[in-house]
Amino acid sequence: MTAPLTRKKPLQPEEVEVFAETIGHYFAHTTGEKARVRTAYLLETGSPPQDDFNGMILVRGSYQGSLCFAAPRGLLTHVLMRMGEQEYTDADHLDLVGEIANTLAGRARRAFGEGLEISPPHTFTRAGRALPTLADSTPLIIPFTWQSYAAVLAVHLDVLT
Amino acid sequence: MRLKLLIVDDSMVIRNRIARLCLDMRLPSLEIVGLAGDGRQAVDLAERFRPDLVTMDLTMPHMDGEACIAHIAARLPETRILVVSALSDKATALRALKKGAQGFLHKPFSDAALIEALLELIR
Repeated sequence: MTAPLTRKKPLQPEEVEVFAETIGHYFAHTTGEKARVRTAYLLETGSPPQDDFNGMILVRGSYQGSLCFAAPRGLLTHVLMRMGEQEYTDADHLDLVGEIANTLAGRARRAFGEGLEISPPHTFTRAGRALPTLADSTPLIIPFTWQSYAAVLAVHLDVLT
Repeated sequence: MRLKLLIVDDSMVIRNRIARLCLDMRLPSLEIVGLAGDGRQAVDLAERFRPDLVTMDLTMPHMDGEACIAHIAARLPETRILVVSALSDKATALRALKKGAQGFLHKPFSDAALIEALLELIR
């Protein structure tokens, strides 16, 4: 009988690198222009940054917590244009921010395996929303720029062993 | 004869992109018969229109893509299914193929990769 997964530990540096790679891969493949991923940092105090549009993925399985992709309107409008969209409503922006969050999380499974069980995206506009805390470890913020826009991926995950 | 295509994805942006690519690239033999935003809607539209081809997302609300694939493969065995998903691990791809999908395309995808994958299913 398999022992239940209960002991929690934070992500290791090489695991963090996986998420940085997913950001670079997404923008290179979707827009043809690379994103510049900056140095990740631990968010010792406060809540993960939110932006005009936010896409959150809940994680279960061998990992527990959430991933949240937060981006300004301008970045998403530009990506929509690159994808050939001709409408730029709030609904389009919310849809895209959720799709990006989902794609980044799904890509991470290439390295983490199917133990990284991900939910469909939950999306919201900037509202200073209090998000549920689903992991005990310190959230990790991965900032990046694409064109002139700054955005972040907040990774808040415990590894269950 | 034109082949009927059903596009299934919970993202409107992705549904539109796939539809637009099929039209822009003038895939002459494809007719888009439906766009579904979740698994239940996909099953309903599949039973109503009996598509020849389906592009299928996996992570969706209400009914996920794997359940949809199993349902469609059982009810419409002639329908060919191309999974278009962000889930990049090998086990997921193998499971989808085992349940009845014929192809797997990872997101994010390029225009050329999508067209090639669809043509592969048509051939």
